[in-house]
Amino acid sequence: MFDNIDSRSPTPLYAQISSRIRVAIAAGELAKGAALPSVRSLASELRVNPATVVQAYRELESEGLVATRHGAGTFVQDVGAERRTRDRVAESRRLVRDLIAKAATLGISTAELRKAIDEEIKR
Amino acid sequence: MTYAVETEKLNYTAGRGEKAFHVTDLSLHVPKGAVFGFLGANGSGKTTTFRLLLALLKPDSGRITVLGESMPEEYVSVLAKTGYVPERPHVYPSLTVREAIDLHRTFYPTWDQKWADELLGEFNLVLDRKQSALSKGEAGKLQMLLALSQRPELLVLDEPTDGLDPVVRRDLLSALLAYVNDTQATVLISSHLVHELERICDWIGLMDHGNLLVEMPMQEFKNGIKRLRLASAPADLSNAPFTLLSREEESNGSQQWLVRGWTDGMHEFFTGRGATVREVVDLDLEEGFVEILRSSRANR
Repeated sequence: MFDNIDSRSPTPLYAQISSRIRVAIAAGELAKGAALPSVRSLASELRVNPATVVQAYRELESEGLVATRHGAGTFVQDVGAERRTRDRVAESRRLVRDLIAKAATLGISTAELRKAIDEEIKR
Repeated sequence: MTYAVETEKLNYTAGRGEKAFHVTDLSLHVPKGAVFGFLGANGSGKTTTFRLLLALLKPDSGRITVLGESMPEEYVSVLAKTGYVPERPHVYPSLTVREAIDLHRTFYPTWDQKWADELLGEFNLVLDRKQSALSKGEAGKLQMLLALSQRPELLVLDEPTDGLDPVVRRDLLSALLAYVNDTQATVLISSHLVHELERICDWIGLMDHGNLLVEMPMQEFKNGIKRLRLASAPADLSNAPFTLLSREEESNGSQQWLVRGWTDGMHEFFTGRGATVREVVDLDLEEGFVEILRSSRANR
């Protein structure tokens, strides 16, 4: 789930971590009640500052996606199907936005990009 | 903010005449609980600074406070609470790993043998092996084990992963971060591997020629440094809300600027002066670090 966390990316590390978890919840990979790794073990595994993991978990908590029970850990909340669909749509848009920006810097037109997407999907 | 390490206008000279090396007016502030990354080229004064902080060298002038106590005066009390992995550790080659641990342990009343045993397992160290027979990676792991098992309030790590393979580096940093999570200890760490520091540090200091050029939270450092691509440059640069570090003209009349202290609203500075910003490019820590060194050296 946490492959390719990249310290060189302009997206802060905490946002990269929270985004991976958000997507995993939206896709159903993390179901209701599933436990997130402890701050200690995730910081150790990703070799990031524990405060970075805490910040990621706090963000998810403020969005109501997870809840922290003191001494027990952080758990995925009951997120409705509707909300999960909405999060998947938001993530798709983000991916497309990045793609469009990248294409623009390479001088690729929207028509060319759209055609390439259609062709790749058909393959 | 409380600081685990604070220096005020520290001055130190090593050697004489032409070859003398100076640490000049060094004022360093390492917040309590921070993982503070200390960057700088070879010979920039990182190791000298560490040695000054730990009373292994005596400053010519200035003040040093470590864990709330004055250095070098209170070194006995401070060093008991500090774990140090030197750049070139002093080892007795004929001692085994077990004997090295036993020797080190006698100096530290806070020594945690249970954790030392756990780390021995995690690091795959063989107790009966002589230190002279350890590989570079094993020697590095033993040094980290010794420093961590003291359960120090402050860890001073001078290139602890230098020359080690990725697997060993990973083991060392994982153990370090688990410790930081459990104890909120302060870490002062130097490394050549900028991307390694970029992941684990929340503060950053940059040394060059014995001067501290930058000292700030990592996120602030990374956010504020940008490369601007300008279609046209403003003639008037007065009251610029950012610091211009360098500018390069390109053949087609456009310019590349390197700026510090950039925030999103600053586009207006250019539009208000009839200039156009084509692109704002984020820099990672290494690029930012190289650019700051370059502009600082150009102004020397």
